[in-house]
Amino acid sequence: MKKCIALFFLVTFSSSLFAGEVITVKGSDTMVILAQRWAEMYMKKNPNVTIQVTGGGSGTGISALINGTTDICNASRPMKPAEKQKLKLRFSTLGVEIKTAKDGIGIYVNEKNPVKELTVQQIRDIYTGKITNWKQVGGADSRIILYSRENNSGTYVYFKENVLDDEDYSPSCQNMPGTAALVNAISKDPNGIGYGGSAYAKGIREVPVKTDENAPAYFPNAENVKSGQYPITRFLFMYVKSKPTGAMKEYIDWILSEEGQNVVVKVGYFPLR
Amino acid sequence: MKSLFSLFFTIVFFHFSVLAQEEKTDTVKVSAQEQFDQLKAHNESVDEILLDMKSYLDLARKLKFSGYMQTQYQVSDGIGGGPYQIGSFSGGAFPTSVGSRFQVRRGRLKVQYENDLTFSQYVLQIDVTQNGLGIKDAYINIKDPWVKSWNLRMGVFDRPFGFEVAYSSNMRETPERSRMSQTLFPGERELGAMIEFAPELGNWTNYNLKLGVFNGVLPTANENDNRKDIIGRVGFMFPLEEQNISVDGGFSMYYGSVRNNSKFTYTFGESQKQFLVDSTTTNAGKNYGRQYLGVDAQIIYDIPSIGGISIRGEYNFGSQPGTSTANSFYNPAGTITPLYQRKFYGYYVSLLQNIGTKHQLLLRYDVLDPNSEIKGSDIGTIGTSTTLGDLKYNTFGIGYLFHLDDNVKFTFYYELVENETVNSATTNAALILYKSDVKDNVFTFRVQYRFPY
Repeated sequence: MKKCIALFFLVTFSSSLFAGEVITVKGSDTMVILAQRWAEMYMKKNPNVTIQVTGGGSGTGISALINGTTDICNASRPMKPAEKQKLKLRFSTLGVEIKTAKDGIGIYVNEKNPVKELTVQQIRDIYTGKITNWKQVGGADSRIILYSRENNSGTYVYFKENVLDDEDYSPSCQNMPGTAALVNAISKDPNGIGYGGSAYAKGIREVPVKTDENAPAYFPNAENVKSGQYPITRFLFMYVKSKPTGAMKEYIDWILSEEGQNVVVKVGYFPLR
Repeated sequence: MKSLFSLFFTIVFFHFSVLAQEEKTDTVKVSAQEQFDQLKAHNESVDEILLDMKSYLDLARKLKFSGYMQTQYQVSDGIGGGPYQIGSFSGGAFPTSVGSRFQVRRGRLKVQYENDLTFSQYVLQIDVTQNGLGIKDAYINIKDPWVKSWNLRMGVFDRPFGFEVAYSSNMRETPERSRMSQTLFPGERELGAMIEFAPELGNWTNYNLKLGVFNGVLPTANENDNRKDIIGRVGFMFPLEEQNISVDGGFSMYYGSVRNNSKFTYTFGESQKQFLVDSTTTNAGKNYGRQYLGVDAQIIYDIPSIGGISIRGEYNFGSQPGTSTANSFYNPAGTITPLYQRKFYGYYVSLLQNIGTKHQLLLRYDVLDPNSEIKGSDIGTIGTSTTLGDLKYNTFGIGYLFHLDDNVKFTFYYELVENETVNSATTNAALILYKSDVKDNVFTFRVQYRFPY
């Protein structure tokens, strides 16, 4: 009996402590293409390391980090205090936040939409249901169709907290499962409006945004995001349970290196420096 | 002439072949139009189905099911049902002649419905074990829609006292809460209403407050007096991220009372080292204080390359109205019984070391002295009216936890339960066995399965 117990401990300990260099990454859909490109390039250079990337949304990634089912969580929003508390209780750690890239959240409209620019206040009023017709913001006389993301999306949370000033989305919002689906819907809907990461803006038009009526409007391009002139910018994060060591540290260091940051630009986001 | 005929036939043939081709093109056009119409109709019907499905998906996102089951095998070095009880604080007393057992310790199913727009929440949690079905949580949560920092909760839910009482059983590393928590807060939950202040943004994110009013009886029992008990906790968190350290803690208070259903009230005379009885007739129906104060702290340090270590502790003291032989709170819903007022203290300290993401090692030491005014050597002395209800217990636990995946957790835990030894000259039959440490250590092997929460 004692031998059986000893064998059980030996197998369980050794299987997890000396497993191969496999790094699992889960979370933000906004970051999933970027994370895949990082992983592909890094694995080419380091064939002994396997990086498995999946999406699911920032909330899903954070839950996976808390449950211990992912090594790295991608998140397009910061972790909430309640989530940090859960991580603390499960692993006795505070978690480590790593800023990996910058993103300008673009305001998407259909290519046929004549609206030239929007203020942050107008966007807030549109998404909270106070402005319901394109005519009210310089467009055609037609109803605005709102597209948003699911509430497990970091982009959804960021947009709600920073653009809507934590007001509620209008109940008429159609929640799309991912940014690609949202872009696809707007490309077919001349009255649609949506929001998402800069890297996804294909087949639709991004509207220049200004902080207020008197300010100039800016596109979410590299220059404007870097200078902070584009008003809706955010960081894209990675979270790990503890201070990274070994293969994970090398991977994260590479992401923050010039080579890793070049991937950020190629995918359509903006480097940290 | 021949050429004229051949020209005529050529023209006629060409005319008919063109006509035939036009007819064919028309047929193709008609067919393409039909296909387009069919596809459009199909597309519309798919849209309708998707729209219908979306309403179910929206509902599914708001309605969440979660749960966990804990099955276990326990073995003790003593036998249940004898002159002393085994395992009362390790998942329930062992039955007569039983020294080992299988149990479904907890079988929880939780249903939550959350409305994002109104910030309201419905929560119902049931517990199904071999002993039957019970209600664990049944409450409504309403968050303030303005600053989103205040929360009103009403129904049956955890009492807001200390750390351990509200620490979920599926997360907790030890199989059971400490003897102190189980004695002071049987069932953990209570019927009442609570206000919580827990800001997610701004300068106050590291502080929280919970203050509630409760019936002051058992979790799902009906109120049995006209007074309510007040329970509250002020909590703080000091995360030092650069140093990998966090210090959390809180101060708790329980201010309540119980109604004596007899005329006998016993209070302990410290100088006389015995219970003194007051049998004034007006004592019947009079309320006696159930008052606790507590302090708790949780310190974590993330050891690089190994895993986080956590030290948790809690110290509570106060006055507890009980009965002659029981130091749990006096419940006037039962038979007419004299009330015994005791001063108590209790604490626990636990140390938890994570090794990687799958392994945890655990040590815990907990103490409950239900009558802090008397030493063990005086318990059982003739004329003191002291009983088993005055015995102090120390429990040392050692454990190992293995997380197979995010669903399955194995726990191996051994508890060395040590009772205070009573006066060696006692002739009290119930106390004679306690002249030395009784055999009531318990080993638990538990498997837990949890699905999304």
